[in-house]
Amino acid sequence: MSKNYIITTIATASLLASCKSNIDPVKPEAGAADFSTYVAIGNSLTAGFADGSLYRSGQENSYPNMLAGQFRLVGGGEFKQPLLPGEGGWPQNPLIGRTAKRVLGYSKDCLGNTSLSPVLYSGISDTAGSARNMASEGPFNNVGVPGIRCIDIYVAGYAALNPYAGRFFKDPTQKAMEAALQPVPTFFTMWLGSNDVLGYATSGGEGAVEGITLNDISPAAIFKVNYDAAVKSLIDIGAKGVLINIPDVTSIPYFTTINPMGLNLTATQAQQLTAAYSALGITFTEGANYFVIEDETAAGGMRKMKAGEYVLLTTPGDSLKCGGWGSLKPIPKSYVLTADEVNNVQQATATFNRIIAENAERYGLALMDANTYMHTLQKGITWNGVTYSPTFVTGGAFSLDGIHLTPRGYGLVANEIIRVINLQYKSSIPQVDINQYSGIKFP
Amino acid sequence: MRKSCLLTAATLMAASSSFAGSFQLNLQGIRQTAMGGTGVAWPWDASTIFFNPGGLSRLNGIQAYGSINFVTPNARYVQTPTGGYSASTEAHTSTPFAVYVGGPLKKGSKLGIGVGVYTPFGSSARWGNSWTGRYIIENIKLQSTFIQPTVSYAINDIISVGAGFVYAIGNMDIEKALPLQDIQGNDGQAALKGNAQGMGFNVGVQIKATEDLQFGIAYRSKVNMKVNDGDAHFTVPASVAPNFPLNGATSFTSQLPLPEILTAGVGYRVCKELTLQADVVFAGWKTYDSLSFDFADNTAALKDTHDPRSYKNTVAIRIGGHYQVASKFAVMAGGAYDPTPTQDHLVSPDAVDANRWTLSCGATYQPIPKLSVMAVLNYTTTAKRNASYEPAGFGGAYQIKSLLPGIGISYTF
Repeated sequence: MSKNYIITTIATASLLASCKSNIDPVKPEAGAADFSTYVAIGNSLTAGFADGSLYRSGQENSYPNMLAGQFRLVGGGEFKQPLLPGEGGWPQNPLIGRTAKRVLGYSKDCLGNTSLSPVLYSGISDTAGSARNMASEGPFNNVGVPGIRCIDIYVAGYAALNPYAGRFFKDPTQKAMEAALQPVPTFFTMWLGSNDVLGYATSGGEGAVEGITLNDISPAAIFKVNYDAAVKSLIDIGAKGVLINIPDVTSIPYFTTINPMGLNLTATQAQQLTAAYSALGITFTEGANYFVIEDETAAGGMRKMKAGEYVLLTTPGDSLKCGGWGSLKPIPKSYVLTADEVNNVQQATATFNRIIAENAERYGLALMDANTYMHTLQKGITWNGVTYSPTFVTGGAFSLDGIHLTPRGYGLVANEIIRVINLQYKSSIPQVDINQYSGIKFP
Repeated sequence: MRKSCLLTAATLMAASSSFAGSFQLNLQGIRQTAMGGTGVAWPWDASTIFFNPGGLSRLNGIQAYGSINFVTPNARYVQTPTGGYSASTEAHTSTPFAVYVGGPLKKGSKLGIGVGVYTPFGSSARWGNSWTGRYIIENIKLQSTFIQPTVSYAINDIISVGAGFVYAIGNMDIEKALPLQDIQGNDGQAALKGNAQGMGFNVGVQIKATEDLQFGIAYRSKVNMKVNDGDAHFTVPASVAPNFPLNGATSFTSQLPLPEILTAGVGYRVCKELTLQADVVFAGWKTYDSLSFDFADNTAALKDTHDPRSYKNTVAIRIGGHYQVASKFAVMAGGAYDPTPTQDHLVSPDAVDANRWTLSCGATYQPIPKLSVMAVLNYTTTAKRNASYEPAGFGGAYQIKSLLPGIGISYTF
């Protein structure tokens, strides 16, 4: 009997000791890569641009900063970003098309209807000191420069052309790729090329194909020379990394939010418009009609839109609602991406993505196929109880400029990058907890 | 003889591969819980009202019985495949209980009557409002209490039958975050609360083949717990409030099916001191197809919800033994293996489950022949389970552990 008591006591004690679950996360492993010095090369997406501007918390929630946090679990070191002091967005200079960031707010349209929509941030100005060159605090690990194109990365003096580069490049003659190599990366992510097509697309296709001004599609030859050279320079110093390709710009809310078939007419209105456009043979029907747009190749310089064409998010809403745009007068061509222009963008995107894929192949680098991933997002991606889509505002992934992402959207990108890193380098880096970041904030 | 009985008892403890699941609670009798949850064959006490109504007319007289258990479940979540994130449910204790009064009308009577009040299903988990799965579940509590008036009749010295009507009351209390953040980044909140009712029955046959060999079979019907007028409340940023019902409040209906349970078992007195018993338990979980909420006011942002569950039927195996150490003192031990009714791709953190292993032991002491005091310690654990809830894109590894002490008292009039 005393024996039984002893057994019972021992059994009870061991049970009490083990009544808490004790499973632990698998220890993350670096695999075949060295994450000690991580450098992020890219444009606004890499810099943490959001809501139409660059501001401090956006930078802090950049996907490279998220990645660096995860890399730290597998030997990653310090990750310096050229942080802005303020939250309002910088620079704020309407003359060069730069405004404060956008926030959700109430605005009244021409019909007197108040609705929730993106409005300019009206908080106190906190841009003091933003323009100060902070190179002495570098070298920086996030060398993402909003606006930079692949064809710009070897331009000496780029810092004088781009205020974001001017903030942290060592001197006006430093080239972007020199800034990238300054910390001597052991690991890199490179998301370059979007601006080589995006400037053309956001200007409504007004630029040239194979041109070098900001509204043009970059020449493929220059793109290739620069891209190849950039990757080679990283390989030459022994770095490994991830190449991220160019999303299909027509999959983003900047181009998909305004419905091209947004002209709703009564039977009488349809008759009147058909009569007014009779010389051009443009007809209208009761119900939903495609907008009328400016097109110099069409008879009379205008025509109705068709499927696969896009009205830009920046098109003034009041002009559509009250100004007769799209009905009494055509929507100006700078607000429209026509089928030919879409084709130009997609052709160039495919060409540039081929160059990117070739480099990944050549050097055994991981490739994050952002183009495919954004198409997956169109079907909806559900992560830990939240479903994301490219829908403007309510989709949760895109910020209030319709091009850049919310912190949660950047989290999705970071996790897809981690996925391809783990595959390529046999590492086991944990995914980012996206839910600790914010999505769209509602007043 | 005594020695061999001890050995058998020791073997039993060592090999306690005992076989229950999901939000089923197997805590309706102290002795039975201590014996791995077995008890359909042998009418140990008035708790047979639950385990096998057929055994009620076999008792030695009217008995009053009360027990309470202290459940402190702990579930842990680890992100997969490469887990940097982990979370555990907050510790909190719930107290399932059982009260029975019943037995033969008078000594030697063939007719027994009784009533039981017990808590056969329930679950709760508090993950809190900051964990990564908060948009699926923050806190959940499901409770049920069955009230079962019962009659039992001993057809002859061998066969007795019994039947009880079950009236069930319960409640649900669910809190989750909504992915609508205010300017400060605070999440929206949804709270669903409601009372539920249901009905069913419990029937059983008890067969006393010999003094030492007894059999039992019992069937408890499905009880559909219906919430007819639950309160739903939504807290969201002011600018999106117009997309929700007025003042963020509406009512809802829902239902949670509690499955039918068929138990068959045998009890065998190996020697004077030692009784062994085993049960096989079928649970008709397939009935739990989905968890749906039908809101009275549907709005732009508030649609009815329909979360698939697609549970599978399960068969659990339980074994246990009772060893009479001395005339006033007995010890019990047992174990159970409860396969989970959940499928790997449909395990939601609001109902974490895995194949459960249970080890249990207990003791009873009779200071006077009419009075028993009872105690049990039940330990349930699961292996690490990799599972996901696909509709929410949420996956990870889970483990559950719980230590359940319980005490009880019975008095035979």
